[in-house]
Amino acid sequence: MSPSAGRLLLLLPTTTYRTEAFVAAAGKLGVELVCASERPSTFEPLAPDSLVTLDFTDPGASAETIATFARRRPLDAVVGVDDLTTVVAAAISERLGLKANSLPAVSIARDKHAMRRRLAEAGVPVPRFQRLLLSDDLGARADEIAYPCILKPISLSASRGVIRANDAREFVAAAHRISAILETVGVSLPVEARRALLVEEFIPGAEVALEGLLVGGTLHALALFDKPDPLDGPFFEETIYVTPSRLPADMQARIAAVTRDACSALGLTEGPIHAELRLNERGPFVLEVAARSIGGLCSRTLTFGTGLSLEELILSHALGRPLESLERERRATGVMMIPIPRAGRLAAVHGTAEAAAVESIDEVTITMHPGQDVVPLPEGWQYLGFIFARADTPDAVEHALRTAHARLRFDIE
Amino acid sequence: MSEDLKTKVQELIDSMINPAVAGHGGFVELVDVQDNRVYLQMGGGCQGCGAADITLKQGIERLIKEEIPEVAEVLDATDHSAGTNPYYTAGKA
Repeated sequence: MSPSAGRLLLLLPTTTYRTEAFVAAAGKLGVELVCASERPSTFEPLAPDSLVTLDFTDPGASAETIATFARRRPLDAVVGVDDLTTVVAAAISERLGLKANSLPAVSIARDKHAMRRRLAEAGVPVPRFQRLLLSDDLGARADEIAYPCILKPISLSASRGVIRANDAREFVAAAHRISAILETVGVSLPVEARRALLVEEFIPGAEVALEGLLVGGTLHALALFDKPDPLDGPFFEETIYVTPSRLPADMQARIAAVTRDACSALGLTEGPIHAELRLNERGPFVLEVAARSIGGLCSRTLTFGTGLSLEELILSHALGRPLESLERERRATGVMMIPIPRAGRLAAVHGTAEAAAVESIDEVTITMHPGQDVVPLPEGWQYLGFIFARADTPDAVEHALRTAHARLRFDIE
Repeated sequence: MSEDLKTKVQELIDSMINPAVAGHGGFVELVDVQDNRVYLQMGGGCQGCGAADITLKQGIERLIKEEIPEVAEVLDATDHSAGTNPYYTAGKA
């Protein structure tokens, strides 16, 4: 490995799905990695130059720890791989004087209420919203709400704790249910995120996700994913993502423009973003812009230029290297995040080979292990696994994903 | 040459690597050495662990290359999907 290849600090929570992809990307790029997690690796005493333990809930202390580390082992870039690490990554980058999103911008993007407020102030279309303190008189607040509405935690991701309420009774029940979820998540969340919720208007319509890369304040739309399964509640389980989008070109352009406006309003200027939007006859509404890349193993659907992964793009950009191409491959691709049908203990998985044999299926990966407790939404935080497909058209990709999924059977006791 | 290398790697696994991963209920087995590439299998808490790639690349590979410079790469031959007791399990943030 050349010393000039760059040394990069990767912030990897021990529970992230994203480790393999980022570590592989660093290997391909010849980047020297320093990995930080919130819990110590058993190898840390043997490899103190490449493994670090940080408290991701304390960005200031983490920045000081890394500043000390960097005096001994200078760092060229810092990348947080998912929601838990975006704020810490910004704090460390700021402390080291590295090019990155500003700490205030990332902090706002991490707080759904602050983000809504900033976007609304900037005229970016968002659902009507208000903050609900869990200490409020929920019955009284329920009488003030227009229904249907959505209640969601301020800082969790991937639809965890997101519940639709159609009336006051459901509103109060949903608030109590989310409160219990926040209790279980506990100290990994900022204090504010443990005592308040976001309540927002339910926007009927289709939902899409835009994966983008900000370079010097310019948003490059890398992929627009359709989510063909309806997301009407009461819970909002993400299942299928397919790209390219089948939406008309003018709507795709509006989505990109609104997302660009949202990034600008939030002050995000560098690195990956993952945006979620709802669409209807009134146009696109921004639900979220996160300063991170797509979650789970979903980035496996994306390759660029001559076969670069999304993570290779992200690391190259962070190190200030020239980006070979931001052009996604021509074929349609997609992923199904395999939903958890009910709570219990996973006893066995059947049909994996049969699912993988479906035409256009690239891969079926089961990420939960036999004997593991499985928890569906809204409390759950994991998927059973992922199915990946690649075909000539988005329709063929979607069909392949559904066919493969139908061949899987999960014994849950 | 390969047998020599195997012996050196095995000694390192026994003396340093397995005592380290044992802290998380894991163990590592040498599968083979081919063309200066070391193939390992991870078991126990390491098999299916969300941090297995960090352990392998940032811990085990670095240690092996430091102690045995002729090793070019360390590769994971583990079937992680068959792990039944991983120390860390992946999930949404």
